[in-house]
This record gives sequence, C-alpha cells and structure tokens, in this order.
Amino acid sequence: MPIAAIESLVELIKHSKATTLSEFMESLKDASQKLKSSVRNSISLSAGADLFLRFVTRTSHDVTNFEACKEHLMNSGKVLVEKAVAVRHKIAELGVQFIKDDATILIHSYSRVVMLLLQQAAAHKIRFNVYVTESRPTSLGIKSAKILCKAGIPATIILDTAVGYVIDKVDAVFVGAEGVVENGGLINAIGTYQLAVVAKAANKPFYAVIESYKFVRLFPLNQYDLPTHTSDLLAFPDLESRCYQESQIGENSEQNIKEEDYDVENFVARNPTVDYTPPEYITLLCTDLGVLTPSGVSDELIKLYL
Amino acid sequence: MENEGNKKSIKERTKAKHKEKQSKEMNESSNKQVAALFSHLEIAKGANASLASRDIHPAVLVIGLQFADFKICGANARCIATLTAFKKVIQDYKTPEGTTLSRHLPTHLSPQISYLVNSRPMSVGMGNAIRHLKLEISTMDIDLADDDAKLLLCEKIDNFIRDRITVADRVIVSYGLQKIQDGDVILTYARSSVVQALLLEAHAKGIQFKVIIVDSRPRLEGKGLLRCLVDAGISCTYAFLHAVGFVLKDVSKVFLGAHAFMSNGALYSRVGTAMVAMMAKEKNIPVIVCCETYKFAEKVQLDSFVMNEQGNPDEMVNISTTSTPKAGLLDGWLHKPDLKLLNLLHDLTPSKYITTVITEVGMIPCTSVPVILREYKQV
Repeated sequence: MPIAAIESLVELIKHSKATTLSEFMESLKDASQKLKSSVRNSISLSAGADLFLRFVTRTSHDVTNFEACKEHLMNSGKVLVEKAVAVRHKIAELGVQFIKDDATILIHSYSRVVMLLLQQAAAHKIRFNVYVTESRPTSLGIKSAKILCKAGIPATIILDTAVGYVIDKVDAVFVGAEGVVENGGLINAIGTYQLAVVAKAANKPFYAVIESYKFVRLFPLNQYDLPTHTSDLLAFPDLESRCYQESQIGENSEQNIKEEDYDVENFVARNPTVDYTPPEYITLLCTDLGVLTPSGVSDELIKLYL
Repeated sequence: MENEGNKKSIKERTKAKHKEKQSKEMNESSNKQVAALFSHLEIAKGANASLASRDIHPAVLVIGLQFADFKICGANARCIATLTAFKKVIQDYKTPEGTTLSRHLPTHLSPQISYLVNSRPMSVGMGNAIRHLKLEISTMDIDLADDDAKLLLCEKIDNFIRDRITVADRVIVSYGLQKIQDGDVILTYARSSVVQALLLEAHAKGIQFKVIIVDSRPRLEGKGLLRCLVDAGISCTYAFLHAVGFVLKDVSKVFLGAHAFMSNGALYSRVGTAMVAMMAKEKNIPVIVCCETYKFAEKVQLDSFVMNEQGNPDEMVNISTTSTPKAGLLDGWLHKPDLKLLNLLHDLTPSKYITTVITEVGMIPCTSVPVILREYKQV
C-alpha cells in the first residue's frame, strides 16, 4: 500500500502541468489527501504518501530548475519503488539470527516480509516449527500455512482463541505490521495486541518485522485514538429501533434475531480490522535500518522529519 | 558557563562566594531546622537588594526580588523575565577601554546571573537560555561596532524568546488540540501556562470537555488556573492531591506541565506531579506532558533527592486558604529543636509513567529527549 501510494504520486508528477513550485506542492498534497480519504484503513498508505511528500519538500529546496527537480523526483520515486523488494530481503537476512535451531515460532495472519524471513531461515538449514493464527475474518493465516508447507516448514493453523493455549510451547513471536507509530508501537491486523499481551505474560520475545517506509507520524494514546476508529465500530445496537423491529416480527422473533446476529458481513463491518500494540510489549523491531528497540523508531522518525 | 579562564571572573566569583558565605551564616539559624537528608539542597536565600553589589543592573535587581517572593514563578515566565532584563543590561552596557564586547560582556553578566541564582536557584530552561546567550556573545564578530553588536544581541534574545517559547507554545497547543475530543475529562495538576493555553484554546474551538484540577498545599497554584478556566466557561472540578485516586476514575486524559526534562526521559516538575502520573498510569490513563524543547536538560537524574529546591518552610505553617495568613498547629516550630520542616518544590517522574511529550517538534515518547538534544546540537 505505501509503495502504491508513492507510485501513484510519481505518476501524478509525470502528468503534472503545474508551473510553479507551490502550485506543484499543493497538487501533491491534495492528491495524497484524496488517496488517504479514499480507503477505509489509510494507515500504511499515509506512511508512504507522507514519506514521499517529505522527500519532495527536502529536495525542492536545493534545486533551482523546476523541470530538473521534477525529473529528479520521478527518478528517485522509481528507485524507492524498486528498492522495496530488495529491502524485504535485507530485513529477512537480518531477522534470521532470531530463529534458533529446533525453535517453535508463532506468527499472526499473513505478512510478506515474515514469510520471506521464515523461508530464508529454512534456506539457512535452520529447523523450526511454526504456529499460525487463523486470523479471522480474513483467514489469511491459512494462506501463510500453505506457503510455509510448500517451503517445507512444518506449520499448524491454530484458532485465534488458542493463542494462550500454545504460548508455552512457543519460543518467539513474529509479526509484520501495517504501520509503526512514533513511539515504536505497531498498528497491525486485529489480534496482534492480544498476542503481544499473552507473549509478554509468558515472557516470550515478541519481534516485529517491518520495512522502514511503513513508519508513520502518528502517536495513538490508546486503541480508540487511531484514524481507523469510527463510532460505529463495536457500538451497542440501538435498542429502541430494535424493539420496534421485534414487535413487528412478532411471534417468530427468536429465530430472526439469531439470523441477524450471525449476519457475517454486518458483523465483520462492525468490527475493527486493526489494533494498536503499545511499545512496551515489543522486544525488538527488525527493519532495513537495522534491528531497533521501540524507542529507536522515534529516533529515526525525528531524524527524518525534524 | 563554566569554561571561563578569565582571571578577573575568577576573582569576581571568589568575591561572590565570600558574600554567599556571609549570607549563609545569616541563614544559619533557619538551616538548623532543615531535615538532615536534605541539607545539601539549595534554599532560596531571598534576595537582599541592599547586599547586592553596585554592578547589578536595576532591572535584574527587580526580577531577583520578584523571583524570591514567587511574584514571578513558572519556568517560562522566569525565563522570559530574565532574558528581557538581560536585554536591558546589554542596552545599558558600555565596553570599557582596551577590551572588546565579546570578551568583556560575559564577565559583566556573570555577577548579574549569580545574583539571580542567589535569589532563587535557576531553572533548567533559564540555564539553557543563558548558555545560548553566552554562546551568541562569544561567537560575535570582534570588529563589530558596539551599538551594532548590542542591537544584534537584543535581536537574538528576542528571537530566542519567540522561537523557543512563545511560538513553541502555540505549536504545542495546536498539537495538543488533536488529542482533546468531545466528552473528554481532563485532569491537570497545579498550574502550567501551556496547559492553560491549551485548555482555553480547546474550549474556544467548541470542544465539549470537563477539567479536573488537582492542587496541593502550600502554594495552591491550581486556584489561579481554576479561576481562569471558570471565567472562560469551562466546567471544572477542584480537588486536593490526596483525593486524586478518587477523582481519577472518571478521567480520560492527564495533561501536565514541565519544569524540565532530563536526558533519561524523567520529568522534573512541581512536587506532586510524580504521584499524579503514577496513579494515572496505574489506571491506564494516558499521561501527556506539554514541554518546550528549551527545557530539555543534558543531565540524568534518578530521584528527587540529588537535585531539588527547597521552598520557605514558613509557607507550610500558614494554613489559610485566603490571602490573609493564618498560623496552624506548626506555629512557633522554630523554637522546637526536634521539629524540622521540609518544603520541597519539585519532584521527578520516571519515564515509565509518561505516555507522550508534546513539544514544538511534535509528539515524541519521553525516551526521545536525548535525540532532540542531539539534533539541536548539530544545527
């Protein structure tokens, strides 16, 4: 998603007819705002867009020729996109050291960079087992397990509710993330936070594996301080309208209520898709900038944005 | 401040030390009544304008007296007052024959500074501001004419006040507004100028929120904040520090002001702050500190005992809640040899109790204080 955002902004530069720098900046800002508001979950997208905008502001200061500046930005945008794959390989290489022979790893949902890391570890002839959470409602855990089995890594899918049950058998937890916030906390697929809490309670290391272009300038104070949070998530049903419906339905109401409760689409829409894991639950973050402690993330972000 | 190999300044310093000794002897009687564990802490000796040397500028004399009487208190107010007074000192300064401004002005300033320190120990922010001023003086072009140099210095002082304090406060308020939502109940302790500005601005923006002001004896600074917020029409609750556990159950966010931030991420602020932060963290309530970056200290401090400031113990005797003093049970404590009073002014909140710090460079975790110090040094 962040890469897609950068790509689309580069495309915009290519077709931009702006004649002055401020006009050009304005159009870029508008576009990134539009991108952010177009999706329900804008966290990783805004990380990419903000990073590129910041890059534009920095370079536009020292270039006097506007056309050359545009050319330069387009090229560096392309480089940024091309580097994305190489970055993942670098992270995987760095992360392998955290997997020891005969280890049992727990992962959550599906993440490209975690997959790559595990495959890399297997290529290094490290023998290990993986538990994968099913990760409802997307069930992306099943996809992860299939990929691992194909790579010859023993993988077992567990229920999201079984994390506490398996945690004692686990040596380390690995997760990817949609975004890393300013204090080093994670924003990731729903369930990551409870995984981290359980890992902390069992004294198991909890590693986040993440590309540095996913660092976002956000500072959530709690779960409800995220841009993805809306008031209709996990809201209690409006009892009055419900009573009215019930009285209309009449005798057969019990069956009808049951059906409504298990209306999967409605139930998924009312549930959050991501949660926030505070930094105190994270052991280390494995990034392309090196292996960082959560407070190191803020260090990097300050360097980038100050 | 320390690296002045100037013989003259050493002489002046020894002179100042001698004077300090004299005034220490004068205060000996009250020193006896200080709790043994805290005898190393600085006590505001109270400015004595008649003892001050002729060199002290009248503007500095005035603020010295105001500092000692807590007529000007709060880190920002004191820093601005000091810099404004020093501007007057610089404007009235004439370089003596045979020396240059950049060499002589620092030695002219140091007795003024030690006079201020004598009237009340200097805050970290003031120290940083003065260090900045001295750096500006020492890096000035030696060939610059006196009047031009003075003009330039005054401009630099104005810039410092603007960039690091007044504009910084406005930026902090704008960041803080993002974290105040409809329905919030905000708890604050004592009085901080930035938190006050933030709450007033949030109210002006039409955000519906309530404020709980926690306060404590003997200074009761929260009363000033209470009056200010109630005048603006904000719904407030006023409670004492011992009730903090009770009032916290409705609170959604805690906003605190700062006196200084240490390099290890510890907050040095009005005594009682640590307790409020600890209780809030215990209840999983976010603790947000508003602090300008000029208050960041390069020191590391682990507890409130090594460095602190003692207030006048007599403040504790007065139990009146109005302006007319009323002596309580402690009246006549000086004559009871076994009774010692301790009136600490600050305490230290460990970084684990602080969720975030709002500075003019953005919201940062308090572990990033040394990063900001490092980045500023490079500039």
